[in-house]
Amino acid sequence: MTLIELDGITKTLKGQQKPRTILDGVDLTVESGQSVAILGRSGSGKSTLLSVIGLFDRADGGRYLLEGRDITRLPERRAAALRSASFGFVFQRFFLLKHLTAAQNVAMALVNGQGWLPRRRRRAKVMAALEQVQIAHLAKQRPAKLSGGEQQRVAIARALVRDPRVLLADEPTGALDTETGNLVIDALLAATERGCGLILVTHDRDHAAKMARVVRLTDGVLAPVLPEPAAPTVPALPVVHS
Amino acid sequence: MIRLSGRMRSALIIGGQGIRARKLRTALSMVSIFLGVLAVVVVQAGAEIVRQAALADLELQLGKDGTVQMYFPPTEKGAAAVLETLRGRGDALAQMSTSAIIGEPNTQPVNPGGAPFNDSAQGPAWATEGGGAVSMACDDQGFCRPIDVGPDTGAPRGAAIQLELRVLTGDVRRFIPYQVEAGRWLDFTGSPSMSPRIVVNREAAEGLARHRVPAELHVEGTTANPTPQIVGVVDDGNGQPTAYVWSEDLFNWLPGPAEQAEWVRGSMQVMLAPTAGEVERVLRARLVSAGVADNSVQTHVINVRKNIAEQLKLLRLVFLGLAALVLLIGVAGILNVGLATVGERVEEFALRRAVGTPRTLLAGIVLAETLLTGLFTAALAIGLSAAALRIGVTLLHRPEPFLQNIVFPWQAAVAGVVAGLVAGLLGGLIPAVRAARIPIATVMRA
Repeated sequence: MTLIELDGITKTLKGQQKPRTILDGVDLTVESGQSVAILGRSGSGKSTLLSVIGLFDRADGGRYLLEGRDITRLPERRAAALRSASFGFVFQRFFLLKHLTAAQNVAMALVNGQGWLPRRRRRAKVMAALEQVQIAHLAKQRPAKLSGGEQQRVAIARALVRDPRVLLADEPTGALDTETGNLVIDALLAATERGCGLILVTHDRDHAAKMARVVRLTDGVLAPVLPEPAAPTVPALPVVHS
Repeated sequence: MIRLSGRMRSALIIGGQGIRARKLRTALSMVSIFLGVLAVVVVQAGAEIVRQAALADLELQLGKDGTVQMYFPPTEKGAAAVLETLRGRGDALAQMSTSAIIGEPNTQPVNPGGAPFNDSAQGPAWATEGGGAVSMACDDQGFCRPIDVGPDTGAPRGAAIQLELRVLTGDVRRFIPYQVEAGRWLDFTGSPSMSPRIVVNREAAEGLARHRVPAELHVEGTTANPTPQIVGVVDDGNGQPTAYVWSEDLFNWLPGPAEQAEWVRGSMQVMLAPTAGEVERVLRARLVSAGVADNSVQTHVINVRKNIAEQLKLLRLVFLGLAALVLLIGVAGILNVGLATVGERVEEFALRRAVGTPRTLLAGIVLAETLLTGLFTAALAIGLSAAALRIGVTLLHRPEPFLQNIVFPWQAAVAGVVAGLVAGLLGGLIPAVRAARIPIATVMRA
């Protein structure tokens, strides 16, 4: 089932200087349970594209369908409801509130004015989300007591707690070491196994390679990245002992 | 139980978390509006206490709101008609006043003219045109006033006290809120007693406690001096010694209806309940048939509360205006703290928008914080004022007896809560609008 369909999306930034086109007819399709990595140079518009997909920002032109429904020109009130119901967000910086525990940080996505869950059900959902990223035992810890990887997993649990249709991750491993980054990517990929779409913006080719599809944003246009040819293998030479 | 909407609950939960996370700022905000809220509470409490005190005083003098007082020219037939109409009624009564002496007969009472017992330095009496005599009596505070001591009979001073006797055809406490302080009030329902039951006021009770007098009641016009039964003590706000008696008890000692009417006609006061419209019409008709001119029968409705409210209105407004000014200065403080807090929490608010929190809820979170802060401050100010009042009443209660029954007025508590909420609303409004306008992309650029 097609989750996201972008058709000719354009976005121009009207700054203090002359207008700059960031997205110039972006086409992208993401299927249910599919993971897509978006590569690109800094300033190429990856985050802007993610903003448009996540309804943080509105496209200037083109068409945006979510599960077949046109949401290109959604009013802010309905966009907020859709963000809450259909999207989960993971950012490079974890954006955990330091005065709240891990569980309360996750619950933040449930206490957002979009419907009301009784405390018991809320707690059950929070613990299930923390369980998904294997840090349920840290539920009562405050962010200051958690490592970078643990903090990012709390952020992923926050993104997953409402069972989103699409997970949007903007360089989620940018502030982590390679090993911890791999754990985070695995946690994100685990979500796709339950049918959640994943769009990952990253600079890391290794992480991108783990996704089902890899695209590159260049000059405001998305293009698929072809797999690199495998390096030729050299037969081992016999060892000669003098 | 009030069911709050999900959005309101969310605002309260997140607002509560914000307050807990920034205790110092919350405390600073509370400090900034505390004086203003306290000023509102104190002004309102003070005004209400003054109003209550004035009301209690005036109600004791004039009667409860809505009581209808009827006036008519004193005629013998008219008085007889009134006594006959009002006999045994609960919703209307006639009250007659006369002078009485309890104690040794044919002697001069210790307080000639029914003067208060605390009065001192009674000067020499001087004669009046009517053949009576007037003396000056001064109380503890040095206030002096002339007291009618009656004709100088040349009788020797004896163990007797003089008091004002109020003769009632029904229960006057329905119209005037006398407080029974000891014993019981008069019973107007049973059989009349040959030994008139009387209730004395504080001053009379003090006189009776101070002077041992024989139990003999002398009332002008009675056939003999009956033995009174003192059944209770009442606070009637009257500084002069006074006693109350049921007319049926006293009329046993008056020869007949004609004498009764003659006896009461000069001092009759009629009071009717607001619901006694029919009695008023019957009474008026009977007075007219008794020869009283219709246009000379006048009624007056007691409206004490309105009068007091009007008198205190200006004073209350002036003080509330000053309190509002202090509160406004506090609002500037809470506004300042609120703006600084929103500035610090830009990322939090952007993140909340990213997870689907609507702008209105973001504004609601900030407002919930300032409103809760205002409520906490109000609770503190109300608690402090109530405690101060309690301590004040305990300390001052002896010299100021009127403070005995004073409790912290609920109106002051309501005013405090309203002031706290208004301060919270005004102080939180601009920060709330700012919070709602924080662009969501802040989290993407961070």
